[in-house]
Amino acid sequence: MEEYAFLPPIIASAFYLVASVRLFRLYRRTSERPELLLSVTFAFAGVYYFAYNASSLFGLDPWSLRTEWMLEWVYISSVFPYMIFIRTVFRPDGAWAGALVAICSAFLLVSTGMGTIEGEIVYSLENTWFLVQWVGYTAPCVWMCWEATLARLGAQKRARLGLAQPIVVNRYLLLMLFAAFQVLACVSDLSLAHDMTSTRTISMISNGLLGGTEIASVVVLWLAFFPPPFYANWIERRAATIPTAVGG
Amino acid sequence: MATTLFDIAAERLEESTDMDRLAARGTLRLALKEAGLDVENLSVPQLRAVFEKLMPNELDMRGVANPAATCKAVMDDIASAASTADLATSKSPDEIFKRLGGS
Repeated sequence: MEEYAFLPPIIASAFYLVASVRLFRLYRRTSERPELLLSVTFAFAGVYYFAYNASSLFGLDPWSLRTEWMLEWVYISSVFPYMIFIRTVFRPDGAWAGALVAICSAFLLVSTGMGTIEGEIVYSLENTWFLVQWVGYTAPCVWMCWEATLARLGAQKRARLGLAQPIVVNRYLLLMLFAAFQVLACVSDLSLAHDMTSTRTISMISNGLLGGTEIASVVVLWLAFFPPPFYANWIERRAATIPTAVGG
Repeated sequence: MATTLFDIAAERLEESTDMDRLAARGTLRLALKEAGLDVENLSVPQLRAVFEKLMPNELDMRGVANPAATCKAVMDDIASAASTADLATSKSPDEIFKRLGGS
């Protein structure tokens, strides 16, 4: 099983890159910032997941420390546009939201910068920079989950008055689930760090949690950004017959 | 001075009923909350839905005579007065998420 641990991230990377291209094409039509921000987020995430696992996929030697640090910077580069997307969409006028983006950005830049200077990647609960970086990329996922939950509650009320489409209400639910899976993935990073601290090997639990959350994330994003007709029809029909279940 | 659609609607509601400013604004706020709408980013169609479907009941509970007719009169008044206050909603989360999923 362990030799196939790279498969979920590779599948996720392919999906992120396809979604990024689709959102970028949408941006070229609309010139609206949210689609661009999400497109850039998915592009960096896709490149990171693919590159990080390419050595396993192609049976190459493990990446050098320098390459691993470059990949760390690619990863945190996906978090900045993600945070700006959340702020742009849900809290465009919230000063606290700007402060949260600034704090998380500082955490990511300082921890990754200090890690690069120290020159060692240490996935350990005893490594302060690892924990600071973890907070920097976990907080936006928790924030997105919270905002999508609030947005869904409001949209459900609007849908009952005919002011929101059930498929849009459902999209909030899917994004909420995506963010929740990402939080779980972040928790699996802690599990991985615990493994590395105690046994220096990655347990099946950490691998399973990480792989499972990646696949689950891809499924909910696929339904959100590429809703197949049968799914969209099911959501509309369900809202029409069971008004209290609007949006899934 | 009325500046937002909410301000205009609350002002018209106050003029058309016996409610004072605080009661008119509070009643409208409650209805908007029940509808899941943001006071700062209201559009005329959203306000119309609130005045058609929720406000008659809210006014009835507060002893306003002829609530349906009052709501219609207020809404007719707003529709003509609020064209400049009607905010573009292309940046609302609903519109953004509608676009992102291609629907």
